[in-house]
Amino acid sequence: MVGEHSKEFQETGRPVVGEMTGRERVMAALAGQAVDRTPVCNPTSVATVELMDLVDAHFPDANRDGEKMARLAATSYTELGFDSVMPVFTIIQESSALGCEIQWEGKDNWPTVRMSKPIWKSADDVKMPSDFLKHPDITCVLDAIRRLRQELGDEVAIIGKTMGPWTLGYHVFGVEPFLLMSLDDPGHTKLCLDRMKEITVAFGQAQIDAGADALTLPDHATGDLVSGEYYREFLRDLHTELVDEIPIPLILHICGRTVDRMDYIAQTGLAAFHYDSKNDPAESMEIVTDRIALVGNINNPQTLYANGPEQVAEEVVRNLDAGVPLVGPECAIPLQTAIENLKEIPLAVARWHADRDSSLPAASEVQDR
Amino acid sequence: MAELADIPNEFIKNEVDEFVEREDERAELIELYSQSAPHLLEIGAAIISGRNEDADRLTVEALERGTGALEVMDDGLIAGMALVGIKFRENFIFVPEVLACARAMKAGMVHIEPILSASGIEPLAKVIMGTVKGDLHDIGKNLCIMLLRGAGFEVIDLGVDTSADEFIDAVEEHDATLVGMSALLTTTMPNMGRTIDAFIDADVRDDVKIMVGGAPVTPEFADEMGADAYGDNAVECVEVAKRLVGVTG
Repeated sequence: MVGEHSKEFQETGRPVVGEMTGRERVMAALAGQAVDRTPVCNPTSVATVELMDLVDAHFPDANRDGEKMARLAATSYTELGFDSVMPVFTIIQESSALGCEIQWEGKDNWPTVRMSKPIWKSADDVKMPSDFLKHPDITCVLDAIRRLRQELGDEVAIIGKTMGPWTLGYHVFGVEPFLLMSLDDPGHTKLCLDRMKEITVAFGQAQIDAGADALTLPDHATGDLVSGEYYREFLRDLHTELVDEIPIPLILHICGRTVDRMDYIAQTGLAAFHYDSKNDPAESMEIVTDRIALVGNINNPQTLYANGPEQVAEEVVRNLDAGVPLVGPECAIPLQTAIENLKEIPLAVARWHADRDSSLPAASEVQDR
Repeated sequence: MAELADIPNEFIKNEVDEFVEREDERAELIELYSQSAPHLLEIGAAIISGRNEDADRLTVEALERGTGALEVMDDGLIAGMALVGIKFRENFIFVPEVLACARAMKAGMVHIEPILSASGIEPLAKVIMGTVKGDLHDIGKNLCIMLLRGAGFEVIDLGVDTSADEFIDAVEEHDATLVGMSALLTTTMPNMGRTIDAFIDADVRDDVKIMVGGAPVTPEFADEMGADAYGDNAVECVEVAKRLVGVTG
């Protein structure tokens, strides 16, 4: 992905800072290649109320209107200095298109699927509507990606998002019925997952066609709900199939405790795993080694939402010291998170690198970019 | 003091031996199970292994042979869930397995509840439970409610996406002394603090004890928000609720 290189890069194999754009930096890190500095990104969402006010693009419209979606997404690059943008703030776009009842909420709250009103009961019901990709809650995402590509060019990585079959299962079957089905009839559950995979691939491919560089794959088989063995039994092979079927880097996102399944996740061939602050960075890196790039894992509710820049910097350093290749918040951040705390992430990354390499710019220079 | 060998049910004996590691809990469960009648331990075993049809049948049979509803509930259904809670807390089992156990418990409770409510037994306390505004997840809350009811609390379930006003109105309407709030998302957790602030603004904060829980919630976060207590899981929720209303054991 890296274009023209300096003599130093050609000699040392290591890019000089400033030589890479945010896009190149993210894509190189996802490919396990050398970077000039650790990229900062959040593959889930960095939308906040403050950023919405700043660019006059508020929830819920910014989740349903491509132009507002793009405007709000761009702020993670233009205002925060992150190396990626993520226009798909929610995890419900395709569920809406499938017919789930959605609570779109207002400016200061996240939209959610009404999972107490499931739309499907068995594998026989699993069917992607023929006009799925023409649904307004799908086309707005594609529109936003096209706009971002046009407006930001190759400066920044544009990450799309397509929900994995396990999370779709929660939405369309309801969490309790889906989890009970997985216990009562694992074979039938696998059939459902296999059929829902078509939806994941279709939405993912449409975003690639619109210009996405990488895709987040939220598939919440979290340790707060299911065992690591569940991941192996139901999802490891399925995620490997998705790697084969989707031709750009995939970033798996699972909240909560996941160290007991990281080895399985690292076996899939997925480019990256966006991991939660419930997992220790050093321990996680020891498990995955260089088989998959970790992204994360700055704590949201405590560090980013309730604490200040000093604590944010400490968590950034903890990840960098552990060798985590992409740094950012652990998950979609609380909407009331202060911009100051988010801006601290790239600054702390710059300081950490500057401490180790005098050729790197000071944090103030990074802020100016 | 009872020994493991005194438990008159092989399955439960093996479960305690394999999964209960803490000495105090082990002693407590051995004491409980060794004193229970074999036919009630069969109910407990059905709960632990998530066999809802067996739990249903065995509960009916126990009642038909004259065992009191309270005894069937305490020494059969709840005794089974006690071990389920420990296995869940220690990550021997996860939510799907707990849901199956809860489904079995529900199958038994269907026969117990009408008898208990007809007998006019006073609840330990009234509890208002709900998932906070903006959050539609309710598995954890529902497990808590099931165990709270099993432990003798009257629970008013406000469901999901509960606003601060709905919590406050319910407390006043039902004259409740306990409130339980749940959140699964890091993005909705702050709404717990806002709800507690609303209780202060409405001048009713001192009328209730507030407990919170949910996957991303920590004791520190609960403390900072001004909650009275935090529960890590459904079993702990019952312990916390009992402590808050001054009930021991």
